[in-house]
Amino acid sequence: MEGTPRALKWLSAVTGVLFLIALGMVLFYAPEEAVMGNVQRVFYFHVAAGWVGGLAFLVTALAGIAFLARRDPKWDRVAQASVEVGIVFTFINIVSGSIWARPIWNTWWTWDPRLVTATVMELIYLAYVMLRQGIEDPERRARFGSVYGIVGFISVPITFLSIRLLRTIHPVVIGSNDPSAQGAFDMTPAMLQTFMFSLLTFTFVYATLLWHRLRLQNLMERVEQMKMKVFAS
Amino acid sequence: MLLEPAQTTNYMILGLSVIVGSMLLFVGSLAVRFRNLRQDLQVLEEVEQNDSQG
Repeated sequence: MEGTPRALKWLSAVTGVLFLIALGMVLFYAPEEAVMGNVQRVFYFHVAAGWVGGLAFLVTALAGIAFLARRDPKWDRVAQASVEVGIVFTFINIVSGSIWARPIWNTWWTWDPRLVTATVMELIYLAYVMLRQGIEDPERRARFGSVYGIVGFISVPITFLSIRLLRTIHPVVIGSNDPSAQGAFDMTPAMLQTFMFSLLTFTFVYATLLWHRLRLQNLMERVEQMKMKVFAS
Repeated sequence: MLLEPAQTTNYMILGLSVIVGSMLLFVGSLAVRFRNLRQDLQVLEEVEQNDSQG
């Protein structure tokens, strides 16, 4: 296995620096929200993690389409790598939202449309991983994974639109809030800058982690091929 | 009368710790899996080399 590409090393370093700047902005640059207090600072990374989850699942669906069109296994590896990153960041999104909700909604969890759709989305992609593990034949596994990744993506716009189309207590960042929303706030310029910078930073985090995870996937397949070769001889 | 913001600093610390901690755990899991796979590959290459010699 060749060493880490120079471009990936640079990307990892830039991402690390961006993340530290974003964390600094969240803690020291963005002002304390007037009603919710400091817990509102979780919002910047909470939304950014949700964005990465949706982006990762979009890439999975697109890679699935590319695999079905070209039958090139590299697209299946991209889909698989992206799903794992998406699951991690959707988990971060759900858990950080729950922590924010405790002092603002006075509960860790409520059966709100956004919370439910986000959790169902997470479960759909956990099932994707389990489905893949249950199929022995690599070609069949890739085909099923691709179709599942495309169909499963329906859960992403449903999650995004749930707070815009359904009655909910979850605040809306872009667009108008439901009258029953609790914890909504208007962003000052410093808050907006911190929010946009966090989105940019997490996009870099996604690209970096996807690349590393893809290299891991390539190495896994190389080891599998080697095992088959050794056991066959 | 101006109201003070709610005292929610502990929840902020918990939230940001969970976010950063989860990301570090994932990065750590990638590193561990890389290391294990490299070790597996090394062993397999040695076995293959021994097979071809013997």
